[in-house]
Amino acid sequence: MTARISRLTTIATQLRRDVVNTVYIAGDGHPGPCLSIADILTALYFDIMRINPEDPDWKQRDRFILSKGHACPALYAALARRGYFPPAELKTLRSLGSRLQGHPVMKDTPGVDATSGSLGHGLPQGSGMGIAANRRGDDSLVFVLTGDGELNEGLVWEAAMSIAKFKLTNVIAIVDNNGVQSGGTVEKVGGLVNLREKWEAFGWYAVEIDGHNMEQLVSVLENAAKRGRASHKERVTMLIAAHQTPPKPDQPIVVIAHTLKGKGIPFMEGNNAWHKRVPTDEEHQQAMAIVGGVDLD
Amino acid sequence: MINIESTRIGFMQGLELLAEKDDRIMFVCADSLLAMRATDFVEKYPDRYVETGIAEQNAAATAAGLAIEGLIPFFATYAGFITMRACEQLRTFIAYPNLNVKLAGVNGGMAGGEREGVTHQFFEDIGIVRTIANFTILVPADAGQAKKAAIAAASIPGPVYIRLGSGRDPVVFEHNAPFVPGKINIMQQNGNDIALFGNGVLLPRLIKAAEELNNRGVGVTLVEVHTVKPLDVEGVTKVLTECGAAVTAEDHTIIGGLGSAIMETAAENIPVPIARIGLRDRFPGSGKPDELLDFYGMGINDIVHAALTTIARK
Repeated sequence: MTARISRLTTIATQLRRDVVNTVYIAGDGHPGPCLSIADILTALYFDIMRINPEDPDWKQRDRFILSKGHACPALYAALARRGYFPPAELKTLRSLGSRLQGHPVMKDTPGVDATSGSLGHGLPQGSGMGIAANRRGDDSLVFVLTGDGELNEGLVWEAAMSIAKFKLTNVIAIVDNNGVQSGGTVEKVGGLVNLREKWEAFGWYAVEIDGHNMEQLVSVLENAAKRGRASHKERVTMLIAAHQTPPKPDQPIVVIAHTLKGKGIPFMEGNNAWHKRVPTDEEHQQAMAIVGGVDLD
Repeated sequence: MINIESTRIGFMQGLELLAEKDDRIMFVCADSLLAMRATDFVEKYPDRYVETGIAEQNAAATAAGLAIEGLIPFFATYAGFITMRACEQLRTFIAYPNLNVKLAGVNGGMAGGEREGVTHQFFEDIGIVRTIANFTILVPADAGQAKKAAIAAASIPGPVYIRLGSGRDPVVFEHNAPFVPGKINIMQQNGNDIALFGNGVLLPRLIKAAEELNNRGVGVTLVEVHTVKPLDVEGVTKVLTECGAAVTAEDHTIIGGLGSAIMETAAENIPVPIARIGLRDRFPGSGKPDELLDFYGMGINDIVHAALTTIARK
């Protein structure tokens, strides 16, 4: 393991610890869907994205939209550990007057680029933000992380159609494909099958990865980011993943990340009871014993 | 003879003037280019035009994305497709973050949708938007006001909803008449037996009803309320205090729109008898605009009758 990957893996573990701690302290929240995106958020906020926590509104920064807003404890942990606000503030999650609302609010929390939580809205907001970036003429990117259950929403596909039509190669979608939504598997609840083919049919270039394999994550996201900042001519030959043909130069990219709900806390892994549940004192202690990192003080 | 001009064209003329001066102005369509009579605008400003196709939720959320980045998008299509289909996008993704998105809904009102039938007649739009915090609601009465409303909307911070008509809209005001958002417009003050509050396509009928009432010796204060939200509470309260009775008239359901807004203000500040003219909690249908307004209780006689019976309740 390279130093780069090793560093990121340690950070992802810290975010997992923060998620369990914040949900436990808040007495409310969605730990399972946070844990499936901890690695993706780590790759983005600690490696891939061009950001400056000291200037959260910097015009040329990359944007991030957590379309699956219920997983915001993970986003808040990433922002806090990246330096947008003190980690101790994570203890205020969901409490009266806190900047850390139950779902992300763009003007409340430093580093939150778009309001989200009502599912299906990250991609269309990202579409507008991508158009705006093109109008500015800068090479900032818009990363949109959606759930897979969320893809039940027709609005996602309205936006997918538009983004392909607008040729927004600066918008990079990531699907947290953990396979399970509130009421059961995505296949059983919403009939979500042939995910890759669906995106391809909407004009996107899809690449599938293991969303918990940090090497794959940074490699594919780095390629997607480079391509997102490149000229049309440069994009013609740019690869996203080895052994795959390159995308057409105007195609937007979707990264389908195969993930596991509850990843990193063995008793939560694959158990959908943890979609929305608070650990008991005993479970909290058990999780703390398993996951490395430091606490919130 | 009443002149007819299009509130849609008026609105687009306003938008064109804005776009000339301000490169943040964007125009978002949900396959509503032709409905908005916007082909000239798009030819002139192709890079300002964002077309999502028939996908209003997408258009509204995309407009939110543009506004997040500091642009000033105007999203225009049929009133109901904005305020009903995309209601949640207006509430959670535009109004909650208080974004600078401007929305223009055509076919506002029953007469606005006229021959299309109920699917394209939108008489709940103002009631829906009025419940959403941070919104400003403008109801221009004619093409000239629509142009001024578009221009005004760009300098009102936060979300603005502008209600437009069928495109065959009676001209009420001289083109150089002032339009001051946020303030009531007292059009006539021929006494204070009754206040008539109205807006939009019903204004010409209110003017005629006021004439009729004057002829019968009734003193009328005729007030245009083009800004339904935030309501000019001070101005409305003053008129209610002076007159002691009022009739409201709007091409909208009597629930939630101008009538409700005036009644709420009266109940809190100066309780006086009030009658509401509007669609009385039922679905209308296709027809010619004047026929529809007469049939569904928004005739000149209905206004006159409501005024007389309300004065009697003083």
